[in-house]
Amino acid sequence: MSDVRKYELVYILSPDATEPQITELHTQVESIIARYQGEFIKTENWGRRRMAFRIGKHREGTYVLEVFTGTGELTKELDRRLKVIDHVIRHLIVRVDEELRVAERVRARRQADVDRRIAKGLPVGGPSRRSRDDDGDSDSGGETEVR
Amino acid sequence: MADGRRSGGGGRGRGEKKDGEKGGPRRGMFRRKKICKFCTEKVDYIDYKDAKMLLPFVPERAKILPRRISGVCAMHQRKLQTAIKRARQLALLPYATD
Repeated sequence: MSDVRKYELVYILSPDATEPQITELHTQVESIIARYQGEFIKTENWGRRRMAFRIGKHREGTYVLEVFTGTGELTKELDRRLKVIDHVIRHLIVRVDEELRVAERVRARRQADVDRRIAKGLPVGGPSRRSRDDDGDSDSGGETEVR
Repeated sequence: MADGRRSGGGGRGRGEKKDGEKGGPRRGMFRRKKICKFCTEKVDYIDYKDAKMLLPFVPERAKILPRRISGVCAMHQRKLQTAIKRARQLALLPYATD
């Protein structure tokens, strides 16, 4: 269970990278993933975006996101390769499985809580958090919708 | 002079603290109770790729907004912090602006 690691890779290509270059790099990434027995999940091309600050002499870049599973070895290899390629001006690999799992658990617990409250016939939405001085218009929004 | 100041300051400091403990909440000004945006909207995962969502938490100078001002709870502030820092690495958010 815990040995399947999910990663997100985002890289920024220089704005003068051509369309074939972009697709070529994508296939390259995919083949590396395949070579390390990783599983490719999805890709997203965000297109050309203005960056918040200059990197090198560039003000904008083409962002590409890749999601995949694999091992630490794989990310190491990807990291090494991306560093070498000239028209990749920045890249970031983030491991996301643990955070997503935590988020999933929190959501499940909340759902269970809601179900239990409905079963008991109690009002849904936590034990009254706005007990003292009732300035409550703004924070009652989420709580009073469902009874 | 320095001596006098120091002792005076200390004394006042203590006095203030006592004041705060006693009548803090109902002292004159009306302060709205802050609520965590992520808790009310039930956001479980703060995505570093969503720059638009992070933008309100990095005002003007692009510094991370302290939670004493935004009212974000400790857990979400922690997650927000990593998300902002990741977004900065990808130039989705600025490190600083002047």
